[in-house]
Amino acid sequence: MKLGRFMDDAYRGLNKGRSLRSEKGDPIFSLDDLGERLGTRPSRMEVEELLPQDPGTLKRLVESDPGNRYQVIWGHLSSIAAERSQQPLHLSAGNYAGLELSRGTIILEMGGDHVGERMKGGRIYLRQAAGDYLGQEMTGGGIVSRGAGNYAFRRMSGGLGVIKGDCGNFLGLGCSGGKVVCQGSCGERAGWLMSSGSLRIHGDAGDYLGLLMKGGRITVFGRVGRRAGWRMKGGTIRGKAFGPEAADGVFGLD
Amino acid sequence: MPDPKEKIEDLIRALEELRLHVARKDLAVGNQRINSQLYFSIANACLRNRALLLYGGMGANKTTLVNLLGSSFLSLSFSEVEDQMVTGYPEQTEEKMVGFLDPRQWMREAEEPCTVLWTPWSRSRWKLINEVNRFPGGKQNLFLEILQKRKISYAGQVYEPGDTCYYLTMNPEFSATYPLDEALLDRISVCVPAFQPNFLAGLALSERERDVGELAEELPRFTLQEFDSLPGLVAQKELEPQVELAVLCLVRDFTLCERAPSYDKTQLSSARPSRGLCAGCHYSGNPEAICWQADEGLSDRVRQDLRSFSRALAYLLDREADLEVLKAVAPYVIWHRINPIRSIIDRPPYYGARKLAFVAELVEKSINRTMNERADMNIIFSRAVDGETSVWRAMEELSIFDDPIARLDFIPSLEQMR
Repeated sequence: MKLGRFMDDAYRGLNKGRSLRSEKGDPIFSLDDLGERLGTRPSRMEVEELLPQDPGTLKRLVESDPGNRYQVIWGHLSSIAAERSQQPLHLSAGNYAGLELSRGTIILEMGGDHVGERMKGGRIYLRQAAGDYLGQEMTGGGIVSRGAGNYAFRRMSGGLGVIKGDCGNFLGLGCSGGKVVCQGSCGERAGWLMSSGSLRIHGDAGDYLGLLMKGGRITVFGRVGRRAGWRMKGGTIRGKAFGPEAADGVFGLD
Repeated sequence: MPDPKEKIEDLIRALEELRLHVARKDLAVGNQRINSQLYFSIANACLRNRALLLYGGMGANKTTLVNLLGSSFLSLSFSEVEDQMVTGYPEQTEEKMVGFLDPRQWMREAEEPCTVLWTPWSRSRWKLINEVNRFPGGKQNLFLEILQKRKISYAGQVYEPGDTCYYLTMNPEFSATYPLDEALLDRISVCVPAFQPNFLAGLALSERERDVGELAEELPRFTLQEFDSLPGLVAQKELEPQVELAVLCLVRDFTLCERAPSYDKTQLSSARPSRGLCAGCHYSGNPEAICWQADEGLSDRVRQDLRSFSRALAYLLDREADLEVLKAVAPYVIWHRINPIRSIIDRPPYYGARKLAFVAELVEKSINRTMNERADMNIIFSRAVDGETSVWRAMEELSIFDDPIARLDFIPSLEQMR
């Protein structure tokens, strides 16, 4: 007898339930599967909706290489994995790690760009220097990094950032809250357009520190380059020594 | 020849009226309530070469009931049936149970083949092994061989008793008992608990004033022709397709294990669910999955036993061999063959003691799942096997079903067909 007829006989007159289908739509085996349906820059909600509940699948996806195409999806997955994990999540490297992270801990062995972007809570530790856009638009949580590239903590509005080494240009650009501590030196235009929050630099700072700043506090324990506080409208800048053309409103450290 | 079922009904009635077996109706089959000990014992008499184990404390009417049934079905006196049984104790020997060399042959001059005098137990088609767990492990192996081969061998001679009804009884573990080997337990088709009579049954039994042997004479007697016709009558009961499917899925539910070789839990020896095998497994802790809740898988004998006893019980109850019958039969076929993990069975409502109830829940869960949630995946698989859809497409569709049978059985089967 054909197996199909056997099944038909077995299920004749019965209502077939569908609750066994635990995953919506087609199966998700790889980042490509997610990417094909979500595009390259999906929202967190879109990723969560499609993501299988199976922890094994999530682990497999987080451990896979997103390439250049699916970095944002991978970033969301890293945050979801960290939030679901009772233990700190160890990752080797990756751009957008901890994207929109709200709780949990991520430990990154190597840095990448956009680490901790838009994070709201939780912790991220980087054992190496981060790339550009570290903690961009973060509103909460904390990031500790060996160093950082350009645009670290850009448009930050809350949380804490600690850079244990040097960082590049535009540190704290457009900051409206939170605290940033740089234990090394930073490049030029740190605190540019800053409106609130605190920026402490233990080493030297480059030119145009606090350019056009409207509020907040900048403290530099080393030397500051030229034109510190240029066209600043509010806030305070304190430094050990300032270069030429520093604004009138800057203060020396006692 | 009239249908012997009427005589069986007379027998059941007579056993109660004569106060030879009065017990609680502890088993529900649909809306019918029956006494499991009595009905499974009679079902075993309607089949051949199956073994039924009655498990219970002393005085629970295990041995007497089997001997009474033997007396009725074989048309022998009660004492004749009693004389045929073997009883377990450590000093029991193969010679006393099976047979011994005829000493007279040494007096003969002509060289003739060795002659064995087979015991009544060996020659009987109604074999009761009483208190089997009082036999030490080595002696239990004798029954393992007999149940397996359906032949009795001694001193190079082989005796074939023909189609036989096997019964065993055992007590719970006492100081003088030995554990039963798993291989022997697997050859026992059904294990039925025998309970002490309850208040009303005790009251009824106290009305019995005559000796059991004397009362047994009043039981209906079956002719040899009637007794031999029973397996054929049972075989006429066809299992519904739902039952066939549920049996297959039930056995696979217990046997499949993602971490076992070839996903077959019967391959496991030291690694077991109770020893941490399932830690971190996707199915572990999921109450819908059965694989992680029992240490042992089920052999194919379970499938055969489920089918046989479902038919026999349906015949006795004069009903279709439907899912209700399977739900009633399956726990008794499975519970002695497996060990549930302690972290579940030790907790309320099982308290480490209600293993049969726990297995009944697993059975119910598996059958309900097969008849409802598994419908789609079973149909997808069957279409692919029949060649009505592509194997690739079926594999892709099956991959979204979070079910051990789909993932560990269907998809690997389709991969081989590819």
